[in-house]
Parts: sequence; C-alpha cells; structure tokens
Amino acid sequence: MRDKLIQYVQLLFAGAPDSEEMKQEILQNTLDRYDDLIAEGRSPETAYRMAIKGIGDVNDILSGTPQGRPCPESPVKTKDDRDTPAKKALRAIAIALYILCPIPLFLLSEMGMEVIGLCGLLVMVAVATAMMMIGAKKEDQDTDDTWDSRPAGPKEELQKSINTVIWVAGFAAYLLISFRTHAWYITWLIFPLIGAVQGLIRAILDLKEENNHET
Amino acid sequence: MSIAGDLIRGHTDAIILARLLRGDSYGYEINKVISTLSSGRFELKEATLYTAFKRLEEIGCITSYWGNSGVGARRRYYAITQTGRQTCQKLLEEWQETKEIMDKLLEVEEWK
Repeated sequence: MRDKLIQYVQLLFAGAPDSEEMKQEILQNTLDRYDDLIAEGRSPETAYRMAIKGIGDVNDILSGTPQGRPCPESPVKTKDDRDTPAKKALRAIAIALYILCPIPLFLLSEMGMEVIGLCGLLVMVAVATAMMMIGAKKEDQDTDDTWDSRPAGPKEELQKSINTVIWVAGFAAYLLISFRTHAWYITWLIFPLIGAVQGLIRAILDLKEENNHET
Repeated sequence: MSIAGDLIRGHTDAIILARLLRGDSYGYEINKVISTLSSGRFELKEATLYTAFKRLEEIGCITSYWGNSGVGARRRYYAITQTGRQTCQKLLEEWQETKEIMDKLLEVEEWK
C-alpha cells in the first residue's frame, strides 16, 4: 500500500515541469502521515485513503507558478490567442465568401455569362481577402510586441493574400477555359503560369520594399 | 466544522509563523501539531500548507532547507526570519483585535 501511495503521488506530479522539489516535499509529508496512521493501528487501505485525502487539490499549486517566478511563455500565448469579436466575425464572413465564391460562376455560366460569373467570383475572393487582411492588421495593432519579433508581418500577409487571389483566379480561369475549349491537354500550362506570376509579384514587392528603405 | 474551518484557514499564515516561532519544523509536523491542538477537529491539506509555505518564503517571512529525517528520506525544513517574527507579531495583534470585536459583536444577554 505504501508503494501504491508513492506511485499515486508521483502520478499527481507527472508531466508537471519544475515540480521535483514540490513532489518530494509533499510525498514525504504524505508518507509521514501514512506511517503515523499505520502506527495508530489503521488498516493499510484506510491509511492510504486518508493520506490521499490529506493531500488536497494539487492543481492549484501546479497551475500557479510553483517556484514563484512568472512563466515566460504564458502571457505571449494568451496575447496570440486573443480574438476580438470583430476579428472573429471578419474571419467568419471571409471564409463564407471563399466557400460561396464559385456560385456566381456556376449560375451565370448556365446562362452563358461566364465572364460576369468569373468577375463575381474574383470580387468575392478580393473582398474576403481584404477582410482577412484587415483582421490581420488589427492583430498587429493589438499586439505591439509582434512587430518587434517579426517586422515582416504585414508584408508577408500582403504577399499571402495576393498569392491566394492569383491562385484562385488562375484555377477559375483553368476550369473556365478548359470547359469552354475542351483543350485539357494544353490548359494545364496555366498552373506553371500561376507560379511564374506569383514569383513576379513577390519580386516586385521585394523591390518596392527596398525602395522604401532607401527613400 | 466547515464554517470554523474556513475561519481558521483564513489565518493559515499566522498559524504557521506561530508554530515556527517555537523552532524549525516541516510540513507534516506542523500539520500534526495543528491536528493535536485542535483535538483532531482541524487539519490543513498538504496543498494548502505547501502554498502557504511558498508564499511566506517569497515575502521573506520564512526560509527553507533540506534536512535528513533519520530514516533516509529528505525533508524540507522551514525556519522563521526576522521579518517573519515581525509579521507574526502584527498578525497576532490583528487577531487579538478581531477576537475582541467579534466577542463584542456576538455578545448576547444571558439566555433566560
């Protein structure tokens, strides 16, 4: 029973970092109590139960900072995790737009107006991407320290957004042209073209960045 | 018991400091004294005791060191500091005052 008690306490602190001393101290106190209870003539089962009951809730000491020093990671984490309702709404609407964007293309191409349909799709993607970017920008304003840790944040966001637009537009164009012309054997060339355009945009952005630094 | 328990728990720091005034001690020993003095009616949980020790150590009222218990196991002993003595004195005065006030507030005419 005594071994079982030791195992129990060790399990209590399993996975908790920096808790070795805490564990030793509480284990020793608990064993003292157990030995005392046995000496008083209690059965091992009763002593085991009472000793465990005497420990109380260790979650309080484990979840707090055991050694009294603040955990360096937690505040950063909570800041990153923090989502304002406005940001959540923006993201939700943007995702909905992304999902629904093929609808105008489907509907209007039924009526023979593929171009207008494609424009509708692109407008929806553009609006959704803009919403995502506004959300990302807000995040940067909220967490000032992220500016220090990764100053390239907004630029990367912009690049990501542009890449998404290019990718969706290219894919839409691929489907549209392929269905219209049935030239599937050649239309795949659009994909390397998308890659090339993305590379070009990235280069232009980088160039612009450098110019900004110079002026 | 539950109401009295909460009341006593509110004075955990004072109890620990008062015990340590009589000499260095460790968790279980202090708890045992508490249990004996209260005729088994009150006892602190290990977790509560540990938290109190840590808090008192942080504010400089007590210090700790590892000692041997004789049967081979290592025990963490606690000792009161000068700051701790002053704090204990202050808490004792506060308690005397509280007791006085409570006695007055709860005073009733003789039951007749």
